[in-house]
Amino acid sequence: MNKEQACFHCFQPIPKGVDITVEVFGEAQPMCCYGCQAVAETIVDQGLTHFYKYREVDDSQGPALIPEELAGLDEAVTAYDDAEIQKEFVLTQNDHSSASLAVEGMTCAACAWLIERQLGNHAGIEKVVVNATTDRVHVTWAAGKTKLSSILKAIHQIGYKALPFQQADLEEQYERKRRSYIRRLGVAGIASMQTMMVAVGLYYDDIDATTRLYFWWVSLLFSAPVFVYSCQPFFQNAWRAIRSKSLNMDVPVSLAIIFAFFASFYATVTDTGDVYYECVTMFAFFLLSGRYLELLARQKAITNAANLMKLIPAIAEKQTAEGWQKVMVKHLVPDDVIQIRPGEAIPVDGVLLSQQAWCDEAQLTGESRPIAKRTGETIYAGSVNQENPLRMRVTHTHQNTLLAGIIHLQDDALGQKPRVVQLADHISKYFVLATLIIASATYLGWYFIAPEKALWTVLAVLVATCPCALSLAAPTAMSGAVSRLNQSGILLKQANVLQALPGITTVCFDKTGTLTHGRFHILEAWHQETSEQSRHEAIAAALEFSSEHPIAQPFRRLAKPVDLNEVENTPGLGVEGRVDNTLYRIGSLAFVQQWHPQLSSPMPQANVFLATEQGLIACWRVDDELRDDATTMLQWCKKKGFHTIMLTGDTQERALAVAESLALDEVHSALKPDDKLAILRKQQHQGPVIMVGDGINDAPVLAQADASITFASGSELAQSGSDVVILNGELTAIRRLFDTAKKARLVIRQNFAWALGYNGIILPLAVMGYVGPLWAMLGMSTSSLIVISNSLRLLRKQAY
Amino acid sequence: MNPVDFWAAILMGLAGSGHCIAMCGGLAGAMGVQQSKPRILLYNVGRISSYMLAGALVGSAFFGLAQLQPQLFIWMRIFAGVMMLLLAAYLLRITAALLWLERIGAILWRRLKPLTRKYNRNGKSHHVYLAGMLWGWLPCGLVYSALSWAALTASPTSGALFMLLFGLGTLPSMLFLGMVSHTLVSLLKSTKFRWFSSAILATYGVATITIGLMQLR
Repeated sequence: MNKEQACFHCFQPIPKGVDITVEVFGEAQPMCCYGCQAVAETIVDQGLTHFYKYREVDDSQGPALIPEELAGLDEAVTAYDDAEIQKEFVLTQNDHSSASLAVEGMTCAACAWLIERQLGNHAGIEKVVVNATTDRVHVTWAAGKTKLSSILKAIHQIGYKALPFQQADLEEQYERKRRSYIRRLGVAGIASMQTMMVAVGLYYDDIDATTRLYFWWVSLLFSAPVFVYSCQPFFQNAWRAIRSKSLNMDVPVSLAIIFAFFASFYATVTDTGDVYYECVTMFAFFLLSGRYLELLARQKAITNAANLMKLIPAIAEKQTAEGWQKVMVKHLVPDDVIQIRPGEAIPVDGVLLSQQAWCDEAQLTGESRPIAKRTGETIYAGSVNQENPLRMRVTHTHQNTLLAGIIHLQDDALGQKPRVVQLADHISKYFVLATLIIASATYLGWYFIAPEKALWTVLAVLVATCPCALSLAAPTAMSGAVSRLNQSGILLKQANVLQALPGITTVCFDKTGTLTHGRFHILEAWHQETSEQSRHEAIAAALEFSSEHPIAQPFRRLAKPVDLNEVENTPGLGVEGRVDNTLYRIGSLAFVQQWHPQLSSPMPQANVFLATEQGLIACWRVDDELRDDATTMLQWCKKKGFHTIMLTGDTQERALAVAESLALDEVHSALKPDDKLAILRKQQHQGPVIMVGDGINDAPVLAQADASITFASGSELAQSGSDVVILNGELTAIRRLFDTAKKARLVIRQNFAWALGYNGIILPLAVMGYVGPLWAMLGMSTSSLIVISNSLRLLRKQAY
Repeated sequence: MNPVDFWAAILMGLAGSGHCIAMCGGLAGAMGVQQSKPRILLYNVGRISSYMLAGALVGSAFFGLAQLQPQLFIWMRIFAGVMMLLLAAYLLRITAALLWLERIGAILWRRLKPLTRKYNRNGKSHHVYLAGMLWGWLPCGLVYSALSWAALTASPTSGALFMLLFGLGTLPSMLFLGMVSHTLVSLLKSTKFRWFSSAILATYGVATITIGLMQLR
């Protein structure tokens, strides 16, 4: 719209010959009528001109003033190629970009498949994961080969609206979808009540021909809006599928509705045969109720994941040459210094500069107690500053924060199609084809036996065998389980793990950081030359700074480290390095014994040794405390009949001490990562094994296990190679994981049994003409509702 | 008042919704949307009160005139039909046809405007009501064509009733402004909606003129 021709106030075109102006922002602005003039003058008079400023920003974004929705969309899409804007939602790593897109208009698995195929053919796209449960598409493309806007346009071309995922967008979409379903439901509901009432009247035989015809016309009047308006989603889906040369469950549904409506319509107009208007309206009503419930279930499943991002504020206070200034969070870059007031959420990851702070990290870990942080410690986006204002230096922003990582993982997990879901998709596609073939055969058969019944029997077959329940059976249960686990601080990275868990026979635990807290203290020390103690400590501190093992922690605090050269870290053994031309080693006894094979420990329970090539110079006893819930967890394992094994790199004495107090079945100590892997492989011959361990040191073992769990906090979360990450630091979360997996499996089995059983029984009955369209419809609807409500049970809070 | 007029009144209000939102919606935004719902309602009740007052005024004026000159009544009907057609054109922004009326209204408004400072929407409850009443006198082609119909009733009570119904027609768009979705707002403001409502109004106008012309014969 050209500004010169439009009213400054209401944006409507100015009629010819009108010349009215009002001075706003020191300029004469054109008005279209005296009304606008009066309003604009009042606004200026009352000093409210900021409204015009604010509004102009709003206009460029909102669709309110551009009625041609699509034109606006095209423009918006091109804007997404802007690097600055992409920073918000695109993750780029070595020329590979990935983003989550929110897609509007997806209603079933077939839609997901269609989008997957369409994008798969698009040049430059490397990977597409479509999640019909959350209506999201996760797409990875080669930066430079294609643009985000052309990906979005490709999705538009097949009739879905797609935009990069932003929280508010998705919620608004859901709300719009929900409202549209409610409206369609309302129309179908009212119409079905009316048509049912009329149908009851028609059951009486003594009704005269004129009244009967009148009733038919009344029913037609009520059914028409249902057919035209309420049934649209089914027709659209069916059409989409057919256009992509595929089939989905909306195809038989649409066929049934179209047949029933037009046959009834024909009967009404020609005054012959039967009418089934009440079938059309009630079928639509029940199907829509099912879809509506499914929508609610999906909404429930994603709100949890989405809620995380809501917490992040949009504005932060940044330190500049002119003092503290409010800036947009999206403009923050690493090394900016920002200030957070008490009670405010932290917008980015960073390092604390203030002396001390209390942070509530409940959003990230589920742990509700505030955590004390000291200068130099990492503070995560999404946590809430509790007490005093704090200052921090930004380290990670946008998509790179821990919180964004968690959300990404949750999205990915919901986006994966576990084998069981893939199978169900596959089955229902063939099922639809089979239904259509059987329906045609039925029609032919009845055409020769009793032509007047042929149409209604086919109708019953189409309706009764709709594989709605079948296609809902697994996805609803899986998303229910994933969301349930997320709520209790258990992050699933591989949805498949839910299927693997119930078969597990052996549980392997790492000791340090898994059964114990991994918080070490030095309890005893021995020095060859007591006078050299402080020098030994400084060397130890220097060496341990290059170790990632938790046992290294207390040494770093012991003394100020000396300068070090030629550092070499051998995971599972220790660290070697040169100080002032002398080579030192710190680590396990075995590590030091490589230099001095005859060496024995001067202190019985020592576990960290410092030596030169000449001999041992110091040793320490460093110990760790058990996790509070380790005993409960192991007792539970025993009760469930799991074989429990401890795999540790620690010495035998210390490993045995822990194993005895926890009553583990098997203990393997003094293991290097390779040894752990070998033992695990051997154990796998006897049955599936789950490994519970530490994300970085045990990475190969975790990858080998049938299922793996890590405790992660902080930056290692995203890299750790496990299937499941426990965020709340509780060992007993494993118990909940097992329970949920078992329940999910049970629910999926129940759903499949029900869906297949029901369809199997009803099909022959319908083919033989024993089931009328009305009963077929009632049965089909009940079947879907049973499956959905069964899956929703997984979302319910369980008592622990 | 016959039921056809009843519908005409509500329809005029509803058809003008897009116009109302474009013109006064901005003001609602500027003055703070965070008003509580009862206050917004009170404000609108004030606005409608003014409409009713105006309706009663023109109603009684034409009640007197109709006593003197019955033929005038039929001419008035034709005039109302023409007003309806002009309104349709006005909503489409095709012509500035109703602008001369607004200009007259604007003279009245200039006298009332100083009062708007005294009674603003953020004051006490009765101030909110009074501010709403003042708003009712804003120069608006929509209101004036409604008034031409109110005049046609040639009775103070029916005139007021007609304007009440007209006001109720505009109420949803003004009351739920901010509550309704962007989609609805852009629908109401869209060219299609304006053409649609203008077409209905024009049909009404033509029908009214036809009846008037038949009565003349």
